[in-house]
Amino acid sequence: MPTVHRSVVYDWLRHDKKFPHVWCPGCGLGILLGSLVRALAEGGYDKNQVVLVSGIGCSGRLPVYVDVGSVHTTHGRALTFATGIKLAKPALKVIVVMGDGDATAIGGNHLIHAARRNLDLTAIIVNNLTYGMTGGQYSPTTPLGAKATTAPYGHSEPSFDISALTVTAGASFVARSTVYHVTQLDQMLGQAIKKKGFGVVEVLSPCHTNYGRQNRLGSQLEMMKGYKKQAVRMERWDKLSPAEREGRFAVGVLADREYPTFLETYQGAVERALAARREG
Amino acid sequence: MSAGKAAKKRGKPKSEHSFYPAWCKRCGNCVAFCPRGILVADEWGYPRQQNPERCTACGLCEMLCPDFAITVGYEKPGAMDMTQAAGGESKDFETPKPGSSGSSSISPERLAPAPREEK
Repeated sequence: MPTVHRSVVYDWLRHDKKFPHVWCPGCGLGILLGSLVRALAEGGYDKNQVVLVSGIGCSGRLPVYVDVGSVHTTHGRALTFATGIKLAKPALKVIVVMGDGDATAIGGNHLIHAARRNLDLTAIIVNNLTYGMTGGQYSPTTPLGAKATTAPYGHSEPSFDISALTVTAGASFVARSTVYHVTQLDQMLGQAIKKKGFGVVEVLSPCHTNYGRQNRLGSQLEMMKGYKKQAVRMERWDKLSPAEREGRFAVGVLADREYPTFLETYQGAVERALAARREG
Repeated sequence: MSAGKAAKKRGKPKSEHSFYPAWCKRCGNCVAFCPRGILVADEWGYPRQQNPERCTACGLCEMLCPDFAITVGYEKPGAMDMTQAAGGESKDFETPKPGSSGSSSISPERLAPAPREEK
């Protein structure tokens, strides 16, 4: 049994906002919202301790519904705003919710540099393989050959692997899950928020309205059943041959390591500067 | 161990479902992913509990509901009985007047069927 009851979600919602929320019926963002709130409550965080930052897109609406400090920023710059908030008030827990276009296209530069700097942030990247809000244009994570509004005969570029990208860029914690694996998602969000350093959770979420319709994937039910079929646990993924990995993806914790965070290394530089001033 | 035996071992789980029709978008997640198959869609697509005694109170329908429209094992104000069909004859939903509900922890939409005080 979970220590925190599921009913905690209702205590963290902003009830003066219009409910039901703006997302399409069956959208994974609602599931992620509940999961995030449960992870925060499980971690014992206070509402005043937490800041949610988001960019533009469907995922940008997420912090609006949670009763914590929230910033809805410009497209792709959610991580830059979050960096400023964290440096100004290091005691706050800053959580950034971005979409795949937000994180890897317009904010791709900020993502790799935030991971390299290893600032104590948590980035939740909702990957629906398309630009859902603007009508289903292809994004950097759209798979090769998939159809999109701007690629009606199939996409001609290979896609980004967000998790592999952030592992290479130097993030402390990288995990991937889907909204279908909701209990696992609760745990991973909790781990990522607790982790000191840059935590990335890539959440695969169905966009049946745009991506699913154009690629004939059916409703969100079929897409979520597809996640169930395609997702392979990390331990099993390592044993699979390249042929078996075709069309599947690994879920689980991809990287969990101890790197010095930006605040620690910066504090070291401050101390060295003060010591140099005292001597000189 | 079967689910029934497991439930007997740890005592009967609290499996009362509450449902907020005003929040439901009829996406069908709860009906499709109920491991016991006890949730069925009515003619409008709203979920209904068919065999409440078979429920193990796993809470998957609640966690997979993107709209927080269904709860298992506890009741929140404004919910309606799951064993009846949604949009049933007895309860008609009036739109609450803006600013009429005093509590800030409950959405006016959830309070629509039967306004009650929380705590």
